[in-house]
Amino acid sequence: MSHALRTLATGVFSVQRSVTVLSLLRPVSAVKIRGQQRSRSDGVKDRETQPFDESLLEFLVCPLSKKPLRYDERSNELINEELGIAYPIIDGIPNMIPQDARMIHKSKATENPSES
Amino acid sequence: MAASVRTLALRALSDSIRNIHHVSRCRIKHLCCRAAITGCRGYSDSTEGRSTHFGFQTVPEEEKAEKVYKVFENVAKKYDVMNDAMSLGIHRLWKDTLLHTMNPQPGLRLLDTAGGTGDISFRFLEYTRSMYDRQQRLRAKSHQTPSWQDIADHYVSDKAGSPQSRAVVCDINKEMLKVGKQRAEKAGITTGLSWVVGDAEELPFDDDQFDIYTIAFGIRNVTHIEQALQEALRVLKPGGRFMCLEFSKVTNPLLTRLYDAYSFQMIPVLGEVIAGDWKSYQYLVESIRKFPDQETFKEMIEDAGFFCVQYFNLTGGIVAIHSGFKL
Repeated sequence: MSHALRTLATGVFSVQRSVTVLSLLRPVSAVKIRGQQRSRSDGVKDRETQPFDESLLEFLVCPLSKKPLRYDERSNELINEELGIAYPIIDGIPNMIPQDARMIHKSKATENPSES
Repeated sequence: MAASVRTLALRALSDSIRNIHHVSRCRIKHLCCRAAITGCRGYSDSTEGRSTHFGFQTVPEEEKAEKVYKVFENVAKKYDVMNDAMSLGIHRLWKDTLLHTMNPQPGLRLLDTAGGTGDISFRFLEYTRSMYDRQQRLRAKSHQTPSWQDIADHYVSDKAGSPQSRAVVCDINKEMLKVGKQRAEKAGITTGLSWVVGDAEELPFDDDQFDIYTIAFGIRNVTHIEQALQEALRVLKPGGRFMCLEFSKVTNPLLTRLYDAYSFQMIPVLGEVIAGDWKSYQYLVESIRKFPDQETFKEMIEDAGFFCVQYFNLTGGIVAIHSGFKL
């Protein structure tokens, strides 16, 4: 009898625990999904409402070599082939600081050494 | 001289295309050469461990840019509010005066360096658009009653807005540009305005591209002012105008005392209360004192290669507009 009661109790507890765990999980996963959705929609929104203005390329050049740049849509960067560096574009604003540029072929260095 | 050093740098680059260190070394030598030639006015004369001023402190040159970046990163969100509070709204009049002095015609291209939150660019676009509208109205008045075809053509051409007046805001600080971009979206200004993160000493723009170059309340934060002036000369078209709006030396001695008292007592306090940042506004006030006066700055601009350099004092010399032409 007591054994049965004990198993009942543990069973109820385990159910309760699993219920609480589940209830905790659900909002977390919902938030995560919503967060992902938001970031995804923000990403889409970024690309739609804040696209990079290609007309800038008329006069935008690499600050180091003063040569024209190539716009790479996939990685959303402005690439200087000659020097092998890529300037990131964040929120549609190109970042033309040499220190923040990424070197393309040598993967060991992620940032250019500082200039001055 | 500059050209040969640059070609040297490029040749070294093509020799070892993966060795970016080479370029940086060449460019640092290039910087030192140029600074030596111009005599580094206002900076410390020590050749090794070159230092410069950050407000009243002396810091190594490499650090100044970083410190300035941090200052503006901290104040970006409250920048416009603080400007209004500190200058009691007078900064708007100063910027409006800059625009009126500039008197831009529609269809020009502006580079707003150290443009931050975009005050000058917004005013520029508004000014050229209203001027364009006024010109259209005058043109319409002088015409006889237009035919329906004329009216239809007018509407079609008007959709493009003012004939491609373009403003590019360039700032070294992403945060300031972000704030500026949000402001632009709120104000509904979308066409003709671009945002670029760039260094005033190394502008990411091609030669002879801009009709007007402005730098409002930004040039005192630049580590090498001569270099920024050289870059301004480079990117301006021949006939282009350089305009600088900056705090300067007050001419009236009584006003000097009041101004100093206000600067050193009130402004950091306001900074602490409104933006929660005493140090940044202490830097602001000190950097104003460290900046060369009207005549010295005029000479620096002339040395860079500008012609017909003149300055206008505003509010008794608290602020001065310097203007020069590339011919």
